[in-house]
Amino acid sequence: MAKLKLALYWAAACGGCDVAVLDINEKILDVAKLADIVFWPIALDFKYHHVEAMPDKSVDVCLFNGAIRSSEQEHIAKMLRSKSKVLVSFGSCACFGGIPALANLTTRAEIMERAYIEAPSNENPNKTLPQTKVSVPEGELTLPELYDNVLTLAQVVPVEYFVPGCPPTVDLILKVVNALATNSLPPVGATIASDKTLCDECDRKKEKKMISRIYRTHEIIPDPERCLLEQGLLCMGSATRGGCGALCVKVNIPCRGCFGPPAGVFDQGAKLVSSIASIYQTNGKQDIEKMVNELVDPAGTFYRFGMSVSMLKRRIPQKT
Amino acid sequence: MKKITIDPITRLEGHGKIDIFLDDAGDVANAYLQIPELRGFEKFCEGRPVEELPRIVPRICGV
Amino acid sequence: MLKKMLEQFGIDEKRLMLEWVSASEGDRFASIVNNMTEQVRALGPLNWNQGGKHG
Ligand code: SF4
Ligand code: SF4
Repeated sequence: MAKLKLALYWAAACGGCDVAVLDINEKILDVAKLADIVFWPIALDFKYHHVEAMPDKSVDVCLFNGAIRSSEQEHIAKMLRSKSKVLVSFGSCACFGGIPALANLTTRAEIMERAYIEAPSNENPNKTLPQTKVSVPEGELTLPELYDNVLTLAQVVPVEYFVPGCPPTVDLILKVVNALATNSLPPVGATIASDKTLCDECDRKKEKKMISRIYRTHEIIPDPERCLLEQGLLCMGSATRGGCGALCVKVNIPCRGCFGPPAGVFDQGAKLVSSIASIYQTNGKQDIEKMVNELVDPAGTFYRFGMSVSMLKRRIPQKT
Repeated sequence: MKKITIDPITRLEGHGKIDIFLDDAGDVANAYLQIPELRGFEKFCEGRPVEELPRIVPRICGV
Repeated sequence: MLKKMLEQFGIDEKRLMLEWVSASEGDRFASIVNNMTEQVRALGPLNWNQGGKHG
């Protein structure tokens, strides 16, 4: 088989997805045998103009991580789409917005204000903010435009496969590599993970117990055998796709939903609200108020990794 | 004046772009480094419960 | 719980109503739905953005 041409790119991301690809350790040699890497900013020196010069559909597979929140990221996403036969939305930021999409609870103006003017480490008396075009004595400098909304890759271009995870686990990455090696990719549109919920693959004891209090993670040390949700901790397992190997819940930490909604769930947060409402013991109004008070940050918890694919997508800008 | 643009800067975490301006003799007249990315952790961490931050801020840089 | 979350999304709490109506309370049901419709109409459109680039 001729060697595949592989591209990797990061948009609004942390680099963790790129490092996860390296975490497959010696298996990376199999990847090197299988494919030539034609673009990978974290590791190799190819520039945007090199990619631009490639013929359309000349890249066999592109693993794209990171969300889309600027004109540059959108431009590169479109460019890599037209250059690639198979585009993979790689990692939770590309699939659901990820942590960067928490910014959808704020606005571009608020972010700029905080980062460039108010932040105590800044000295910016003239309140200069980044501009898309600046004239300097020697010529002109340009910067991409920052969008108000953080989008997923699939909200910008069509995508063949989704690999969730923050970052995707070694097992899932190897699954992708093997599928490429044996030319046995699943049907287009597939998510490479489980179709079931995380609760399905979690072996904690579920006793169908009601809870009378929601605890914050620092308030109790949970029993390592029993379901975390039934101990009053907000665990997102019931509204989250399995396939991670229950990494967090195995170390006594409640799931935060980085694998996104499971097949058939339209809105991850709404699903969790109904899960909690159904196990919280309430006898009247005060109990409901108490529950609501114990839940400190519903939007930032239930959509921790999935704001961009939620039903509401962002905070509605207030009319002025 | 001639401009050389290096975009993106590679082999590091994060996005960067360098514009180098050359004068008529071909010497470097000035160089600018710009960071074409901002995610806004400074802002969106506000309002999140403090015990949750250890699960949010690692995504500033995962390298 | 839903109300608190919607508030974080900037949605007026007047847009969400939770009522228990029995199947036999037809008139009450109709009047609640009418009131809610009026209330939401008075608030006007939500400016709900379906994932564009700008809020
Ligand atoms: S809610 Fe969490 S702890 Fe409980 S079964 Fe589901 S994944 Fe496991
Ligand atoms: S348990 Fe939840 S947050 Fe942890 S890796 Fe799995 S899906 Fe992600």
